[in-house]
Amino acid sequence: MSEELKESISELLLAENIDGEITEIIPLTGGASAETYKFKVKQDWFVLRKGSGNTSPLAILKKDEAFIQNEVFNQGAPVAEIVAVSNESSKLTDAYIMKLVEGESIARKVLRDKKFSQARKVLAYECGQALAKIHSVSLESLTKVPRNDPYQSLENLYLTYQQFKQPLPVFEYTFRWLKEQKFQEIEPTLVHGDFRLGNLIVNEEGLAAVIDWELVNIGNPIQDIGWMCVNSWRFGITEKIVGGFGNLEDLLQGYTSVSNLIIDEQEVKKWQVFGSLRWGVICLIQTYSHLNGPTNSVERAAIGRRVSETEIDMINLMFLGGK
Amino acid sequence: MIFDRPTAYELLDAVSIFLEGKIKNELPKHLGFNLQIAINVINIVKREIKSGKEIDETSSKLISDLLEDEDTMKSLADSIKNKTLDLEDKNLQSALLEITKMKLSVDNPKYSTYKELIE
Repeated sequence: MSEELKESISELLLAENIDGEITEIIPLTGGASAETYKFKVKQDWFVLRKGSGNTSPLAILKKDEAFIQNEVFNQGAPVAEIVAVSNESSKLTDAYIMKLVEGESIARKVLRDKKFSQARKVLAYECGQALAKIHSVSLESLTKVPRNDPYQSLENLYLTYQQFKQPLPVFEYTFRWLKEQKFQEIEPTLVHGDFRLGNLIVNEEGLAAVIDWELVNIGNPIQDIGWMCVNSWRFGITEKIVGGFGNLEDLLQGYTSVSNLIIDEQEVKKWQVFGSLRWGVICLIQTYSHLNGPTNSVERAAIGRRVSETEIDMINLMFLGGK
Repeated sequence: MIFDRPTAYELLDAVSIFLEGKIKNELPKHLGFNLQIAINVINIVKREIKSGKEIDETSSKLISDLLEDEDTMKSLADSIKNKTLDLEDKNLQSALLEITKMKLSVDNPKYSTYKELIE
């Protein structure tokens, strides 16, 4: 890893009175529009999250991510503590540093390793609690977060889909179907936007931290619950509706242990359809960044052929009575 | 066909067996992950070579049954968008289901929802 990066990190830490040599630095996988590293100073491990310059149309800036994460931390939700945020003069431009939370984020391991068997039993309930806390953050100071009602979100998603000029009859059907639904009107809240395994750090006891806040927005809180139930995020364990590990009743019980909002399962289903469609559009974004972008990526090329997975899920939910 | 054997399908088959059998376990983890994606991609292309043409024809037929003088995915998408077709139309629903199932049979026949629906 470059000395320059270490130097920029040290500079940022020093501004927060953290002094010491960076002895180890390891790159992590960190979402489409971020570079993530973990590094060690004295006995402590930290995580740097830095804009990659490859911005997604749906993602917010890293320093705004840090601000929100801090607000959520203050609500008592499980998130990493922010240590430092870059400013104009920092060489890292758009980045922040947080404390490392130990645990596992790889979905396949959380779902299948024996050491997480206890955690899996409580995870749906704890996810419900965490979501309710995230949804209780005061919106007053969150001026930079995009705000949308369900129909605006649909419209934005449609505009993104349309720009790729790839005709997808199932997408057209689903856009129309969703536009005709009456979404329950709920006071808008902070929405994580990508709450699912892969973005949750899990330890042997349960949920340790919610990470990857780049798709955060202000909108209908049920969006997060529907997203968690999307079949793509069950990683093959289809019968467990919540993330491949839990059932909806447990998640909702955890939710109502914190929040007064009563959540109707039919509403969750609409947002699940919305979630499959949204994941389908994100697949398109990634595919076309490979097709039109400067760098070759077999991973991004392959994701273009995962669009049909989202289509079969939409069909299954809308007119085959699937879950 | 003027080309000699191996066929396009057989060539890809040889490559995927080589990658899976000889290369995959030699690589560090993160490259192994990408190699698996590359193998999956080759398998998609193999399935498309085998059944793509037939799927295309069947899909065009399904669409022209709905739209009379049109048979492309674009015309089907447009007819849904401009509300020429009704969302409750059972023929539309079954055409979408059949076309999507055929796409999955090439893209990812192991996908859970697809497997449930063909059983």
